[in-house]
Amino acid sequence: MNKVTTVAATCLVVLWLAGMQTVALGQEMKMVVGPSNIDLHNGAELLKRGDAERGLELTLEGLETAATSRERVVGMSNACAACVMLGRYKQAVSWCDQALDIRSRNWRALINRSHAYLRLGQFEQAEADLVAAEEIAPGARSVKLVRSMYLDATDPVVPLVVIDDRRQQSDEDPQ
Amino acid sequence: MKTRSKVCCLVLLAPLCAAADEQPAAELVAEAVERVPLHTVVPVYPEKARRARVEGEVEVCFTVDRHGRTRGVAVRRSTNRVFEKPARDAVRASTFEPLEPGEKVPDIKNCRTFRFNLARVAVD
Repeated sequence: MNKVTTVAATCLVVLWLAGMQTVALGQEMKMVVGPSNIDLHNGAELLKRGDAERGLELTLEGLETAATSRERVVGMSNACAACVMLGRYKQAVSWCDQALDIRSRNWRALINRSHAYLRLGQFEQAEADLVAAEEIAPGARSVKLVRSMYLDATDPVVPLVVIDDRRQQSDEDPQ
Repeated sequence: MKTRSKVCCLVLLAPLCAAADEQPAAELVAEAVERVPLHTVVPVYPEKARRARVEGEVEVCFTVDRHGRTRGVAVRRSTNRVFEKPARDAVRASTFEPLEPGEKVPDIKNCRTFRFNLARVAVD
């Protein structure tokens, strides 16, 4: 009797622990993988796919429910990027300004604003933001890309290949 | 000891690959015994290097078979690896005049130097 009770109790404990683990895992997964702001997340995904119009809409909706300063910065920087994609450069600068007012060292907002300035032909401001972004994230692909866009706008170059043919006899030949 | 004779030096804009036939390659024949270039391919300037404003130089050595095809293409010297593949590809795609039946020429290693430069363009 005692043995049966012990086995039953053990099973209950295991099941309960398993349940707790599942809950704990579920919570952990939600924290790690799941986006805390689904509209911001989906907006960013749409922007990555090139759907700037809809991406901006969702990003703005996400901004309305942004719970943290980080979410607000992300949303504003993404709204800035969406506006650049849509060719609304002054609006883009405004969004990036707001993001950088909260976090002045956010390199994504800096590079987005640099891009917007570049499109507006304001090269000094573009260079300043670009230099700041390069100090924070020199290896980032988007930083390198905007640098090349900046150079193409201010210092355009044309590739030139010089072909120099030489005849070389074998090393054993006398000089 | 190595003996070298400068044969020719061509400057071409990379996009103008079609102009290869107009190169003064035929002038080489009288000077030396090496093979006469038939089609010289200009390497593509790597976009990655152009964007980063990187210039460089690659020397590629090769031999030419009876049919005028390049063989044993290898980079001998380069200042930046980004230029090596375009240079090798250009040499592999280049051809020389085939030999006449019974014609013999010394088996000479040829070396071709590619200088990848970026020319500044005036801005309005």
